[in-house]
Amino acid sequence: MPRRQLVFLIGIVALTVAASVMTVVWRNEPLLGLDLQGGVSVRLAAVGPADEEMLDQAVEIIRDRVDGLGVAEPEISRTETGVMVSLPGVDDQERALSLVGTTAELRFRPVCRMYTDRGASRLASGTAPAAPASCQAVATGGVVPAVGPAGLTLPEDDRPEDFVVLGLRGDPTGQRYLLGPSLLTGEAVSDADALFIDYQWQVGLELHEGQVGIDGFNAIAALCFSGTPACPRPDGATNGRLAIVLDGQVVTAPSIRAPEFRRDAILISGGFEKLEADDVSLALRYGALPVELEPENIRLVSATIGEDSLRAGVVAGLIGLLLVAVFIVGYYRILGMVALASLAISGALLWSIIAHLGTQSGLALTLAGVTGMVVAIGVSVDSNVVYFEHLKEDVRDGRTARSSVDRAFPIAYSTIVKADMASLIGAGLLWYLTVGAVRGFALYLGLATILDLVATYFFMGPMIRLLSTTRWFAEHPERFGLPASGAVPAPAGSLRRAGA
Amino acid sequence: MSTLGGLYRGESAVDFPRLWRRALIASTVAVLIGLASFGVRGLNLGLDFEGGTSFEVRAPGTSVADARRVMERLDAADARIQIVDGELLLIRSDVEDPARAAEIRDVLVAELGPVEAFEQVGPTWGDEVTDKAVRALLVFFVVVALYIAMRLEWKMAVGAMVAVAHDIVLSVGVYSVLQFEITPATVIAFLTIMGYSLYDTIVVYDKVREIVGRLGATERYTYTELMNLSLNRVAMRSINTSVTSAIPVVSLLLIGSLVMGAATLQEFAVALLVGIFVGSYSSLFLASALVASLKEREERWRLVADKVSARGLADGPTRVIGRQEAAVSDSRAAPLRSPTGGPAKRRPTIAPTTAGGAPPRPRKKKKR
Repeated sequence: MPRRQLVFLIGIVALTVAASVMTVVWRNEPLLGLDLQGGVSVRLAAVGPADEEMLDQAVEIIRDRVDGLGVAEPEISRTETGVMVSLPGVDDQERALSLVGTTAELRFRPVCRMYTDRGASRLASGTAPAAPASCQAVATGGVVPAVGPAGLTLPEDDRPEDFVVLGLRGDPTGQRYLLGPSLLTGEAVSDADALFIDYQWQVGLELHEGQVGIDGFNAIAALCFSGTPACPRPDGATNGRLAIVLDGQVVTAPSIRAPEFRRDAILISGGFEKLEADDVSLALRYGALPVELEPENIRLVSATIGEDSLRAGVVAGLIGLLLVAVFIVGYYRILGMVALASLAISGALLWSIIAHLGTQSGLALTLAGVTGMVVAIGVSVDSNVVYFEHLKEDVRDGRTARSSVDRAFPIAYSTIVKADMASLIGAGLLWYLTVGAVRGFALYLGLATILDLVATYFFMGPMIRLLSTTRWFAEHPERFGLPASGAVPAPAGSLRRAGA
Repeated sequence: MSTLGGLYRGESAVDFPRLWRRALIASTVAVLIGLASFGVRGLNLGLDFEGGTSFEVRAPGTSVADARRVMERLDAADARIQIVDGELLLIRSDVEDPARAAEIRDVLVAELGPVEAFEQVGPTWGDEVTDKAVRALLVFFVVVALYIAMRLEWKMAVGAMVAVAHDIVLSVGVYSVLQFEITPATVIAFLTIMGYSLYDTIVVYDKVREIVGRLGATERYTYTELMNLSLNRVAMRSINTSVTSAIPVVSLLLIGSLVMGAATLQEFAVALLVGIFVGSYSSLFLASALVASLKEREERWRLVADKVSARGLADGPTRVIGRQEAAVSDSRAAPLRSPTGGPAKRRPTIAPTTAGGAPPRPRKKKKR
């Protein structure tokens, strides 16, 4: 038994030291939130008229985009003429802009023709198609799509009602798509996910009900499936293709294999890698902003919480921690010191994880997060107290201190697990179901709770069991904050009971 | 002090069931006040929830603290002030009324410098965020209730949920009554309080289950009496935990009030402090009372209560279960300690009459 305890102890201490060293070596530092250290603020102005509702929608979509992990805690708000996005701690302003992301509309365009072009084509200014738009109009020269020097339609000519020539996203081979007018926009998309089906990565697409949704989509599907002039079959193929276009680039252009689809049963396959499938589904999900936004300015902003407040908070936290330490050691003596060591272990591990996630995934540590940790300290101490009080209880009931140690731990730990499970369930649900600050909180709560369980099981328990095997423990229970045990022929000095 | 000393020594010193009624009245009144205030005065939602007005002032060299002093004089101390690109002051306040915003602008121009931009801003914490959070909370309540019902029992799930709801209403009530500004951090504080209260309640319930498992079969004590014993045994833990959690928060409160401009921190600290104490209180007085009253209705415990009252022992204060009985299951495992040396032990108010029921079977000693 003691051997196992020893292994646990050495293991957890080694892990903690390793994690701390890694953190220092990798120069991981927690990413402080906007409130604590400021960041970059990007102001986006709407192009064309935009009402409040559209801007609110844009805010939601940008939040999803910027906050892929959901814990970076950006501040996104509607202004009178657009949207303001503030990101914590981004030094590189270019990066901030790219994070805020593309603002173009997602469009569904039928593919008229696919070809390879090395930029040798003639420039064309383009002519508007006569309704109804048909690819034949392009083939016969009735309509000429506007193209720039690279044989591609320039962004300023990329209008939804025009024929355009666009390239494939992330594909430098010069594949060109001659596309018809946009038939549907990203507003039709309700959800999209990368799925692993039939041994390959595919993208599952879910549309809304109604005309801007499945009905509109099925109308196009009918055109493309049978290869009507509006959506012709490429040479030798059985079905026409529908291109999904974002930001002047074709994201993917699958051929339409059925004349009609169910709203929630549309699969796009295309020999995707997982990353590609993720990318496509991301573009489908968040691609469409209801309003086009243009960056107006990018500026550095300072922390929202004054430095004075911050300093006050830090000083208060340190003093508080010190007082807690004094209280715990005063009350539980050596057990209290073990509790503090256990706290230090879970604290160091938590710090390493936060620093790692802050550097790698943009997890921001805000005032709320700091508070969450302060309270987590309270809960961590609590776990120790649950055990210690149980120990005392058993000793008072007449057990020897040593047998109490063995008996009380499993019981106390089961209580701790029950109570911590409730927190974990809460953290998990909040993580899955919310966005923004609440999500950040859920992460901190979950991490702190798990670490509490780990430190209690692998450090605090074994440590006390090891201590309990010493002669010292049996002879001086009062030094451990325990009442003198009646079952042990105690030395005279320890008959005095603490608190009496 | 003797009560606290008794608690420290783990002796049954407090008659919790006698306090339950009073606690129930106090809690009901507090909850009603909270709800009434919530209904009448509502909450003081901050910039993040309602939007407001932003001012950009060109005032190089002006510190945030200076700007805050000006805003305080304008009765808008909770404005958020940032320095932009080192020379502009970005001041965002939850003032929505255009006339008042114009007033503020004029004062800013007079005291700080030219106001370059001045516009309404929307909330950063939009309705969708709130909707999602509320939905998540509802799911959370259901799932945690199921979890408690599974691991403990459903009556305890009811008790825990009522206690948590009580704590949330009281904490939100404090914000409503004092009209503190609600920020995202406040919402986080409420969530923290919830988790905290739940933890506390589950510890109490787990204890009572353990004690009922040990002493319930003797049929000598009613559920309420067993609950009282459990509460006395966890009370010290509850107090200790509250103290250790409250110390950093109190320190935040005191130091925050010494430093100017930390108003947000202070209000935040007040919310947490209230939550911490209410969380402990509700598990000792509400969650336990509720479960006890639900359990007393069960046939098993009704019979026990009848038996006990037939012996004429149910009147007066809740009987206290002495240490000797409490340790009954261990009677063989470890010799009971004689009271020599310790303070006079409270004698059990009931002598274990062995006339009727068989003596409790000692449990098997646990393997070491």
